[in-house]
Amino acid sequence: MSEPGTNAKIINGVTVDDTFAEAFGMSGTGMVITADTMKWARIAAVTATGFGTSVIGCGAECGIDREMSPEETPDGRPGVRVLMFGFSPEALIPQVKNRVGQCVLTSPGSACFASVDAPLKIGLGQGPRFFGDGNQTAKKLGDRRYWRVPVMDGEFVIEETVGVTTEAVGGGNLLIIGRDRAGLLETTEAAVEAIAKVNDVITPFPGGIVRSGSKVGSKYKGMFASSNDAFCPTIRGAVKSELGPGTIAVLEIVIDGLTSKSVADAMRVGLKAVTDTGAARGVTRVSAGNYGGKLGAHHYHLKDLIA
Amino acid sequence: MSGLILRQKHSVAERLNTSGLTPAKLVALSAYDIAQLKVGSSKTDLRLGDVFDISGTAGDIVTIEGTGAALDFAGAGLDAGTLRIDGPAGAYAGQGMSGGRLEITGNAGNYLAAGLTGGLIVVQGSAGDNIGGVLSGQRFGMMGGTVVVGGNIGARAGDKMRRGTIIVRGKTGTNAGTRMLGGTIWAEGGFGLDPGFMMRRGTLIGPSVERMLPTFADCGRHDLLILRILARYFKETLGDLAPRPLGAFARRIAGDMATIGKGEILLPAA
Repeated sequence: MSEPGTNAKIINGVTVDDTFAEAFGMSGTGMVITADTMKWARIAAVTATGFGTSVIGCGAECGIDREMSPEETPDGRPGVRVLMFGFSPEALIPQVKNRVGQCVLTSPGSACFASVDAPLKIGLGQGPRFFGDGNQTAKKLGDRRYWRVPVMDGEFVIEETVGVTTEAVGGGNLLIIGRDRAGLLETTEAAVEAIAKVNDVITPFPGGIVRSGSKVGSKYKGMFASSNDAFCPTIRGAVKSELGPGTIAVLEIVIDGLTSKSVADAMRVGLKAVTDTGAARGVTRVSAGNYGGKLGAHHYHLKDLIA
Repeated sequence: MSGLILRQKHSVAERLNTSGLTPAKLVALSAYDIAQLKVGSSKTDLRLGDVFDISGTAGDIVTIEGTGAALDFAGAGLDAGTLRIDGPAGAYAGQGMSGGRLEITGNAGNYLAAGLTGGLIVVQGSAGDNIGGVLSGQRFGMMGGTVVVGGNIGARAGDKMRRGTIIVRGKTGTNAGTRMLGGTIWAEGGFGLDPGFMMRRGTLIGPSVERMLPTFADCGRHDLLILRILARYFKETLGDLAPRPLGAFARRIAGDMATIGKGEILLPAA
């Protein structure tokens, strides 16, 4: 049966559960990818952040934070800021190296600049610079060193290091529940668009939305996670379900941020987007995923996020 | 201008060594101790109070007024605050400076910014030979910081320079960037004879070269991203002191091929 909690609130016809999202401390870094046009900056950014949905299977959770105007970027060209999150700074090192080396270095007209300033640094251009095979040169300006790697369309410019914050948070989330699958998807898309306006956060799953929410563990050996059966509508009569009658779909937005505040801000605007327009589109309820509060250090109570 | 003001009372027959006169050092001294600082370079044992009228209060700014070109080592060892020389300075101004700002309203002598590792030096006039160059017994010349010279500069600027930037509104003398190992020399008035002699790395930027060494190789006309980054960086850090951007395209000339050839001269593309 549905368990919204005794103190659930109803906002514009959408029930907001009395529960919380449980999130984890992570390491996060970010970079600005520029190109001659926004189209190519975006192509490089999308490629570099591909296959970066879940840290468990992909090694890192990656996404686009925002687009940047030429006035905001170090080289005066259009840019895209991407963020990458991992379990530790060490875990991010190969992810950054491989993603930048294979997806940004290779993209026409691209350049790559550090976009997280923190005392702890990892290599950004330290690997890709060797592609220059001895013809690469460096230019240090202030406390930043830029590598110039000769490539077939000119020079690939990349900053030597990038900061890593260990104050990042991964796994902020909203579970959006409805009785109309199309309307639910539209509403969740609107929430993702609202979250995209918040700086320092990403929603790493496809289009910012995950339909296969997971629980920890499995009946099968070797599986770290498996289907969140309590939120799967087609088996709601057969398992201990969290879903009420009429529910036919649940979509989840997972949020990673460089700070706990940015994750809370993102959840707040996402929740507002859902409650503002969701009821008319068949959204009935918003909940959040947690593990009883015992695993993650960061708890985001939905009642605290109601604008 | 507020802060401590040192006005030279009369000319002296010897060169003055003002290497200790930094804001950080003077603020920690009493008026008596300031007056007792040695500034002479001979057996006469000249003290600061013998040569300068001292007024104002020690703080972040020290101004030296009424000096001649015999004032050596101005701003040497400066690490914070501002030292303003209201007039010309002699040799070795800013030697070993690591931070702060040194302003010279007149000309500067030889070896300006030798061993500079940080901070900003602004010379409104011209400067002598070996700006940012290597000193005898040292391994490298300038290793950081920025020098802006309003006039021309002499020969061998940036000799064994490793990092940092020299911006010249006028023209350089012979062999600018000789034995250079890194950093940037940007001469708005162009380069004199044979720039980049035996340079290994580093960048020389300007509108013209009086005579190019035969060991430099023309790499053609390019839209170099690093020029945009440099222009933006200088605009942000130097404001009105920033050099004029070269333009979208530059002719890249690599050298000195007599060494490893990883240096470059960037000229406007025709």
